[in-house]
Amino acid sequence: MKEVAGGALRVQDVERTFALKDDVVRALDKVSLVAPGGSFISLIGPSGCGKSTLLRLLAGLEKPDSGSLSIGTRSPEDMRVAGRLGVAFQDPALLPWRSVWKNITLPLQVMGKVVKEYGSAIEELISLVGLKGFEQALPSQLSGGMRQRVAIARALVTEPEVLLLDEPFGALDEILRRTMNLELQRIWSARRPTTILVTHSIEEAIFLADKVAVMSARPGRIVEIVEVPFERPRHPDIMRSSEFHMLSDHLSELLFTGGGH
Amino acid sequence: MNSVARCARGARVVLIVLVIWEVLGQFEMIGQGALPAPTQILNQFWIDRSDYPPHLVVTLQAAGLGFVIGNIIAILMGAVSARFRFAETLFRGVGVTLFAVPLIAIVPVLLLAFTGITPRVILAAMAVYFPTYIATMNGMRDVDQRLVDVVRVSGGSTTDILRWIRIRSAVPHIISAFRVGAPAALLGTLLVEFGGGTRWGLGTYLLGSLGQANPSRLWSIGLVATAIAASAYMLFSIIGSRLSKTSTAATVQTAVPTGAVSGPWWKRLIAGVISASVVLGLWAALLALLDMSPIVAKSPLAIVRYLTTDPRASLSRSRLWDAYSETLPLAVIGLLCGLAAALVLAVVLSLRPALGRSVLPFALVSQTMPLPALTPLIVLVFGRDVLATVVVCISVTFFPAFVTISQALATTSPAAIDVVRVSGGGRLKSLRFVGLPGAVPAMVTAARLAAPRALLGVMIAEYLATGNGLGNLLNESRGRLDYGMIWTVAATSVVVAVLITQLFGVAEKLTRR
Repeated sequence: MKEVAGGALRVQDVERTFALKDDVVRALDKVSLVAPGGSFISLIGPSGCGKSTLLRLLAGLEKPDSGSLSIGTRSPEDMRVAGRLGVAFQDPALLPWRSVWKNITLPLQVMGKVVKEYGSAIEELISLVGLKGFEQALPSQLSGGMRQRVAIARALVTEPEVLLLDEPFGALDEILRRTMNLELQRIWSARRPTTILVTHSIEEAIFLADKVAVMSARPGRIVEIVEVPFERPRHPDIMRSSEFHMLSDHLSELLFTGGGH
Repeated sequence: MNSVARCARGARVVLIVLVIWEVLGQFEMIGQGALPAPTQILNQFWIDRSDYPPHLVVTLQAAGLGFVIGNIIAILMGAVSARFRFAETLFRGVGVTLFAVPLIAIVPVLLLAFTGITPRVILAAMAVYFPTYIATMNGMRDVDQRLVDVVRVSGGSTTDILRWIRIRSAVPHIISAFRVGAPAALLGTLLVEFGGGTRWGLGTYLLGSLGQANPSRLWSIGLVATAIAASAYMLFSIIGSRLSKTSTAATVQTAVPTGAVSGPWWKRLIAGVISASVVLGLWAALLALLDMSPIVAKSPLAIVRYLTTDPRASLSRSRLWDAYSETLPLAVIGLLCGLAAALVLAVVLSLRPALGRSVLPFALVSQTMPLPALTPLIVLVFGRDVLATVVVCISVTFFPAFVTISQALATTSPAAIDVVRVSGGGRLKSLRFVGLPGAVPAMVTAARLAAPRALLGVMIAEYLATGNGLGNLLNESRGRLDYGMIWTVAATSVVVAVLITQLFGVAEKLTRR
């Protein structure tokens, strides 16, 4: 398997506001963040803290009001148009009329690539996310967890330098979520794209990330960036260690006090 | 097993209906033999079997060609409207006009302007345009935003989104519009054939058999027409269900259909003026393009002159007024009766769901019938007076209203009904407090859907049978070569129908919360 070391990701003093009817919401207020190439960062925070907005800015789907974002030496917009990003949302957002195989090939088709040349790469990817035998299944025939795995395979098919995940397991139950976390760790270790994971779950954030960025809401800010010391590959047993609990307590304290300390 | 049982029940209901029909027919219990027994009809069909092919060929050709042309135009216009809001405003008037126009009013005008098969093709195309246009526009515009994001993050452009998402998303909507369009195309063709002047065609055959005192032949032709429409409807249903099997939303749909024209009143007024001018402009442009004699072809201005400065203007106005005062009350009565009957049946069936399962297939089949074209059969049974007119009117308004209201009653929130039930209320109470209030917007929608059909129904009955009102005025004016009146009836009936639909549209907005 080819290793893809992702580009470094820089967010500098980014601001983004939304105008509501008679109110202005500061979704992001002077947010700065650095993710070294090939690292895994979790973004955690209460609803409305702007974490999804930050992800959409990194995906080049929206533009900041001020501040700058860069991936390697290029802008997110450039990276998006060049097809160097992989994105998975909370909803798998699969094309319901396409089979698993054809959903995964969509980004290649959009980029104008000859899909046939990627046959073996796609096969490999499908077995990586554990969907062997389901290539011709339609999304409606799959379970929620399987659909989410298709979405992740689709995000990976272009061998992206940067993987942006917006609560990809948010709609799954706790048990399935743990399984998916293990799978995501395995997939990420195999390719090492620079990854940003937006999540609500403290455990998920710690288990997967090199660093956890904690955000607060209204205005959306990064309160603290917490280093996660565990060795990789990580076994689920670490979730029962005291170190994990201490980290987790620290994060929930940050979240529930809004970082006011 | 379950579906086998359902088929068995359906077959039983059909069998019972056929037996009753057979008894009624054999003993000539309705209209002195105006309703023949199924076996008699079948027998007559067998006797006449060699007469059908030449008529069928022409009708199918015209309806098919009109169906294809109308849908191609509708899909193109729909696609452009989905992309550009301004285009939607431009084409809106055309759409509303084609939705509301009583097709029969256009027949004499088309027969003046074109010869051969062309009038039939045009009316068929006009009949299919609106549903396909709306389906294409909404289907392409209201796509799941997250799917769009997926294409965009892969570096996709607007064209890529169109290619990979929008077109495919619109297909199921367009197919279901085709389903409605197939019977409509046949109806358009038959109406032109009722207008006369052609030797071949199912409509000509039907009308020609009206005076022969052979009810079995009339019914046989009517049922053949229905069978054609029904098989086209079924064909598109099968295609549609094949497609939707693969496009059952695996993701939660977040797209909300956008209102047509929103904003302050003056914006809507401007939009209205623009779309009306487009219709008038198209009319004038078509006349210029066809290079027709101004004696035969009347522009919008010529009609205004015909009704104001022309020496016989006051006579024309009073004849027009008389015709409307005969036609409109009947249309209103027919509409109200049709809606009331639909409401009563929908309510009864919502209280007796088992009964509903046996009746609903009939309601769905009736949707496939080119009903207004079956007016001669109704005239045969109910005679040539007001009763026949109202029955025609009810028959064309009842089913769309019934289907709309039933759907609203069926989709009443189960939680809301539970609230009534835990408070000790039964089915009647939940109907009174939850079902009926919830169905009010659906009733207004039903009225809006049915109003143009009511006007069409009355006009067809008048045109073919009763010799009253607008339909008759059209007929008379053709005989007298009163071209001004022919165009005036066509134009004013369109205006009246559009106004009525818009009125119900406003009422719909007010009742929908």
